[in-house]
Amino acid sequence: MKQKLENLFLQVQKPARYTGGELNSVTKDPDQVAVRFAFCFPDLYEVGMSHLGMKILYSQFNNEPDVWCERVFAPDTDMEQLMRENEIPLYGLESRDPIRTFDFIGFTLQYELSFTGILNMLDLAGVPLRAADRTEQHPLVVAGGPCACNPEPLTDFVDIFFLGEGEEVDLEVINLYKEHKQKGYNKKAFLRACADIEGVYVPSLYDVSYKEDGTIAAITPLDGVEPVVRKRIIKDLDTCYYPESFVVPYTDIVFDRAQSEIFRGCIRGCRFCQAGFIYRPVREKSVDTIDRQSHDLCRNTGYEEFSLSSLSTSDYTKLEELLDRLLDWAEQEHTNISLPSLRVDGFSEELANRLNVLRRAGLTFAPEAGTQRLRDAINKNLTEDEILDTVTKAFKGGWTAVKLYFMLGLPTETMEDIEGIAGLGQKVVNAFYTNPDKPKGKGVTVSMSTSCFVPKPFTPFQWEPQDTLEQLREKQQHLVSSIHTKKISLSYHDAKTSFLEAVLARGDRRLCAVLEAGNKRGFNLDSWSEHFDFDAWMAVFEECGVDPTFYANRRRPYDEILPWDHLDYGVTKAFLINESKLAHEATTTPNCRQACSGCGAACWKEGVCVEKR
Amino acid sequence: MKNVRIVFSKTGRAKYVSHLDLVRTMSRAVRRAGIPLWYTEGFNRHPYLTFAAPLSLGYEGLRETMDLRLEEDMPYDRLVERLNEVLPEGLTAVSAAEAVCKAGQLFAAEYRITLYCSAEAVRAALALPELPVEKKTKKKTTKTVDLKPYFANATVKETGETAVMTVTLPSGGADNINPGLFVTALSGILGSEIRVDVLRLRLLQADGTEFL
Ligand code: SF4
Ligand code: SF4
Repeated sequence: MKQKLENLFLQVQKPARYTGGELNSVTKDPDQVAVRFAFCFPDLYEVGMSHLGMKILYSQFNNEPDVWCERVFAPDTDMEQLMRENEIPLYGLESRDPIRTFDFIGFTLQYELSFTGILNMLDLAGVPLRAADRTEQHPLVVAGGPCACNPEPLTDFVDIFFLGEGEEVDLEVINLYKEHKQKGYNKKAFLRACADIEGVYVPSLYDVSYKEDGTIAAITPLDGVEPVVRKRIIKDLDTCYYPESFVVPYTDIVFDRAQSEIFRGCIRGCRFCQAGFIYRPVREKSVDTIDRQSHDLCRNTGYEEFSLSSLSTSDYTKLEELLDRLLDWAEQEHTNISLPSLRVDGFSEELANRLNVLRRAGLTFAPEAGTQRLRDAINKNLTEDEILDTVTKAFKGGWTAVKLYFMLGLPTETMEDIEGIAGLGQKVVNAFYTNPDKPKGKGVTVSMSTSCFVPKPFTPFQWEPQDTLEQLREKQQHLVSSIHTKKISLSYHDAKTSFLEAVLARGDRRLCAVLEAGNKRGFNLDSWSEHFDFDAWMAVFEECGVDPTFYANRRRPYDEILPWDHLDYGVTKAFLINESKLAHEATTTPNCRQACSGCGAACWKEGVCVEKR
Repeated sequence: MKNVRIVFSKTGRAKYVSHLDLVRTMSRAVRRAGIPLWYTEGFNRHPYLTFAAPLSLGYEGLRETMDLRLEEDMPYDRLVERLNEVLPEGLTAVSAAEAVCKAGQLFAAEYRITLYCSAEAVRAALALPELPVEKKTKKKTTKTVDLKPYFANATVKETGETAVMTVTLPSGGADNINPGLFVTALSGILGSEIRVDVLRLRLLQADGTEFL
């Protein structure tokens, strides 16, 4: 097989994605390890290799002497076709051994549209798709990541889900597996034992029954397992494992740089944002730890750039102190610091200059909604004045381009809110032309980009209907006709993929059959437009007798049993219901640093929940 | 400020590293090695690092060269040692020395080409009165070149299932002949795609001595 594989490399685009052997990749002697783990990212190499979570777990697993973790990515179309023609099964990049011979196949669930990619990879690996069809001879299929908070559409295919942060729980399961292997491994007994570990969800140990109207009647635990599975969090990020080096790819990837995580969670609680709720509570790393870890990473990878990673960089409590420390060595070593998700306001002038804040962040804002009323309803704390103040200052400094991000279809949205989006863009344009210090002889460009709102589990909007495709189209058209200047360029996201995302995000186990039927039709990587075929999806829904609008476009009552009700992410349902009601009154909720709103995440007694205010 | 020429090999898994990717990989390796690189001045500062002759994707090379400009001196053997501590599988620094030849002095390259067909077929092709093949020009058009004169110096040996050809071809200057062209011509004659391994042995000046 390995020779056959070598012959394919020169027939495909960017073969370095399939060869392995990059700097810092780990090879071990297969005879000397007890557990082989295939860490699969259901997307192309350049996307998966950019992902911080995968880098952390890859290093951490390989830090265990008797575990060998290898990386696996979805091959691009040309490579996949050649692999199928030449009967080369999906292999680990490090050993080039088929992953169907491994102990574990693990997937990271980053976005719903990658679900078809997971099934395609299992198929390419030559592993039976359904968990029930896999025996002791097959690898265990496990999965974690943000979409594990409602993994129900994947429950027929995955043996074990990890809820929450993986650093501890993953290794606990691997260690338990080693024990079971020593005393004679039986899959059923092993899964049952796993279910007693906090953060481990074994879907086959829960039975779901449905009412006549299609809603859930009950979720019943079997074999004496806990009725509710709680996610895991890492309590102390300063002592938690963090890699000293990353695999450095040969070929260009999306984020080709070192990354330092500075905190987890987000204090803000924007009501549409799943990340803002499922990663609670906010826990920070100390300046010392970040400084040391960043420097180590840069030294061991040779990267000329590193980024500070978090959901909202500006909310790090000691940001100026941290940047001061980092710049001390970064400037000397010609290393750039990039600061994603940074609010450009609120820096001291000196640091702003030293950092060249604007050059790094760009003039980018995400007001998400066009009117203050709707921004209050979604709890997005960014006012028009803040935006106009910042752009006015930036125009003085010679800036001529502004980017604004919005969402269409937010709960309570009216056509007035849509007009507000155009209006806000117009005000930014006006702010440029009425500015006496504007750059001479130049025009301004305001790029507005709109996506479609997708209601997500564990948010206050989890009960909301998504706008129908017709409604979204109407709003898009209304927005276009509300814009009266050529200085504004507008782009919008395809509503059809957002619809599918909405179906999968809040789907239940009956979608497993749909995904399986889709796999037979060759569905794969739907986040890539060349793969996504809406009409084929609709045909599959019909064939399976599943109505997708039941999941996407229906308002769910507060007392309905939701498919993810047996999973616990700390945030309580009572809190979410209250937030939902506040949204409909357009009332905001303070962020976690201003006041605790009692969301439930204080049960861990960590981070911001126990900070002095 | 001094220009150092590093001789390195690129083999095994590293043969699938494209030239663009090699530039990035080497520049990071040099940073990891803690080699005191000289950075260009100005807004977008970057290190000075150049290669004499790009190697096609899929080819291996035994004595490729890369030039670095250093900010301060570093003993050559130490430089080689440090680089080898941090280079990924398939890339190995062989030696380092002050650059003698100017880039313009690169004239040719010596190759060893392993063809997965009989030596007879290769010899027969070389014995033809001409060996025309389509070659892409810089302007993205194609023209026909006769390979015959370029391969006049080729020697062919039979080794088991394969034929091993050693040949020196123009490289770097106005004239550039990629050994892959011969494989294309031969595949055309034989009517089937010939598998090939290409190894660039060394880079040469016009007088036949090594480009160093
Ligand atoms: S600031 Fe709002 S949108 Fe951004 S991560 Fe936090 S909660 Fe989500
Ligand atoms: S318990 Fe309070 S402080 Fe802690 S995450 Fe929830 S709202 Fe924030």
